[in-house]
Amino acid sequence: MTKKKKGIQMIGQVTEPIAIDLTVSVNDLRAKLEEIQKQDGVIGYILRNTSSASIDLKDPAKLIDYALLSSSALDASEELSELFALGNVRSVLVEGKNIKMLSLIVDGNRISVFMEKNVDSEVLRKTLCEK
Amino acid sequence: MDNDLYSFALKNTLDEIRNLCPDLKNAFMFKEDGELTAADENTPQKTIVSIVDAFDGLLEKADTVGGIELIAIEGNKGGANVSHMNNHYLVTVTSENADRNYVNTTTHILVTTVLKLLEKISPAPLKNHPSETETRPEIPAIKTDEEPAEQPAEKPATVEPEQSTKPEALQEEPTASQFMVEDIGGLLVSADTVRLDKETLLQWQELYEDRNIEEVEIETFEGKSVRCKIKPIKDSKQDGKGIVQIPQKIQRTLQIRKGELVKVKPILE
Repeated sequence: MTKKKKGIQMIGQVTEPIAIDLTVSVNDLRAKLEEIQKQDGVIGYILRNTSSASIDLKDPAKLIDYALLSSSALDASEELSELFALGNVRSVLVEGKNIKMLSLIVDGNRISVFMEKNVDSEVLRKTLCEK
Repeated sequence: MDNDLYSFALKNTLDEIRNLCPDLKNAFMFKEDGELTAADENTPQKTIVSIVDAFDGLLEKADTVGGIELIAIEGNKGGANVSHMNNHYLVTVTSENADRNYVNTTTHILVTTVLKLLEKISPAPLKNHPSETETRPEIPAIKTDEEPAEQPAEKPATVEPEQSTKPEALQEEPTASQFMVEDIGGLLVSADTVRLDKETLLQWQELYEDRNIEEVEIETFEGKSVRCKIKPIKDSKQDGKGIVQIPQKIQRTLQIRKGELVKVKPILE
């Protein structure tokens, strides 16, 4: 756990066995997300896969809203991708009037990063996708 | 008619954009309420319905980010954008190696321009049309259906046979005209009264000369309608702009807002 108390940080675990390489990947992603979270304008992130979920948001009251938005965006994008044969969805950027959300699927992990509109989401995307 | 005009103009625009940008595979537009506005010839309606359904939940949750402006999806075999513009969502699907910046810029500029143009001309499609006004000066300025307007009795030469034989029957069925919604505010505003420009009210008086018009029926394109009192717009600068000023209460009842189009029909007494 980090020292900061400004936001909510949750890690949920289920009892399913987890492959070691997946764990490494998740830990690596979590480390990257924690670094990203420190950047100016980044509001928080949601990281989840079949076995765990990590959420770190500056405004915990928005947790459910952000989680629903993240889930809806990825689900809708996957449906669109299927209908138009776009292949595997790499990223979804949802820009609102106030903030934007970058959602990615990396090694089966569904990541959503919430940020203010002036943050360069492409830089974040590259950071999260690079091995 | 205006819906068809909208769709026709937008469909042609989307087809032309596809000709201009071969990497654009599909393009279609739908309104905020999910109604299909226009689609290029390459996109089946069934697919569009599925997409609108898929995005319905996401768009509903968009308040979290202050309303959707853009959704950009990147797949390993292509990409898609959903852009919000002028109360519509434009969906564009591009191939894998497409120059998405070029496609998006071109699409955005052209569609926005056409939408703005349509919104300007659509509330009064015939109003400033020289050929129409020259040949049929007595026809009311704004019409929403294809039925020709009834001609005054003193001009029988231009009146079509059916109209000349049944002038009263036509007057019983006043035609709806299309207007763009404007807000009306102030302390002295009556919540059950809408305002139309004097020009339109005068035209109605000429058309239905022996009838008293104190109320109108406002109908949305979703089929909701209300009956309310009518008064002329006070500001003469608003004359001829094809707008109807509607109090917030009525706008809420009809689930409409400023900038949207409604049909307004006089109630003949």
